[in-house]
Amino acid sequence: MCNACGNPAVPGHWTEAGADTPGDRLRARFHRAGLLDKVLRPYGLTAHDGGVVPGIQLSTLSGNQSIVPDLSAVWAEAERLLGRPIDPLDPVFLHDD
Amino acid sequence: MTTDFADGRMRLTVLGGYLGSGKTTWLRHQLHVGRFGPVHVIVNEAAETGVDDVLLAAASGLTLLAGGCSCCTGRQDLIDALRGLCDQRSRKASDEQRLQRIVLETSGLADPGAIVAAIQGDPVLVNHIVIEQTIVVVDALHGLAQLQTEPLGRRQIGAADQVILSKVDAVDPASLTLLRATLRALNPSAPQSAAVLGAAQPLLDLAPDAQAPALPPLSDDDTRGAIFPTRLKIDESIDWSAFALWLSALLHARGNDLVRVKGVLPTPAGRLLLQTVRKVVQSPEILPAQENQSEDGTIVFIGRGFRPEDLQTSLRRFAGRPTGLGQKT
Repeated sequence: MCNACGNPAVPGHWTEAGADTPGDRLRARFHRAGLLDKVLRPYGLTAHDGGVVPGIQLSTLSGNQSIVPDLSAVWAEAERLLGRPIDPLDPVFLHDD
Repeated sequence: MTTDFADGRMRLTVLGGYLGSGKTTWLRHQLHVGRFGPVHVIVNEAAETGVDDVLLAAASGLTLLAGGCSCCTGRQDLIDALRGLCDQRSRKASDEQRLQRIVLETSGLADPGAIVAAIQGDPVLVNHIVIEQTIVVVDALHGLAQLQTEPLGRRQIGAADQVILSKVDAVDPASLTLLRATLRALNPSAPQSAAVLGAAQPLLDLAPDAQAPALPPLSDDDTRGAIFPTRLKIDESIDWSAFALWLSALLHARGNDLVRVKGVLPTPAGRLLLQTVRKVVQSPEILPAQENQSEDGTIVFIGRGFRPEDLQTSLRRFAGRPTGLGQKT
């Protein structure tokens, strides 16, 4: 573990499993960030992963930014910013609009 | 076993089960027949005086943690003991034989899920230890009565990867079937096997239509409904990244209601075994390819407080796929 930044604290977050080669890993990061961004937009949040620095960048529409290490941290940070957790079983996800 | 595992981490088996269910008896016999190979055994007893340690002399190393259940009051002792093992192992030269396996026999009062959570939450231990499986021993004689009255008994079953029925020679086939159907209802993903004094016994396949007796609701799950299992088929249009995104959000929001999630999913790196206990996800493991992969892509969810059909809709929405709602087909 790097003393300065604490990366990586654990041997990979579980959501990052299933990609062995560097190419697969990078593809998965872009793909994940794209999907995440679509989920977060309606909540006034955006997600970006440039593939260079570790972690996912979250921003609010007012420009407030934070970098979080993994998806578990994304949901915790989103809950902090929104004041409530994003619940996939919330009715907004269960109806076609 | 002489070679290290590819990722260099030790494998931990958690052995759980209710008080007096036969955990030590089973483990003693398994050590005798060499099921685990060279193994360090950690025995936890809730009482102050340990008895089990003398019975388990066949282990290559033994640690006794007495006076406190390792899922609650004795948790720090467990973490310290495991860290000690990691330390000793790290000091060995690379060409010496190093410890590969640990078996943790929990006290009968322990919730294996809480222990798994404690180990995975420790920043040192996650780098050294992979929790391989949770084996839960169930007393064939008293198991059903315990499940009817004890929330702990149900939590133990919910956390199991494998269920061992002990004392099967002491019950009649009809009540054994009742118990097995109940266990299947509580945890359909855990294979069942039988043992008498630790020695494996043949067990007939359970008829698919065997009815489980209704379990009375217990005080700790009164308002949120009963825990039920459901299966979610992940179709090919939803890849692992999308599924992991959705599941991580679901566990964050509903982790306390999702007792267990387990299944095998195809990924670019191979077949990935995924399992969670409440909010804790065990390190996913790549499985070797098998001939029969028909169960791949089916994930078992054991939990409460949601409608099973909502899982599929929500997952498709997260993955940006059409939800199938409102389509006239």
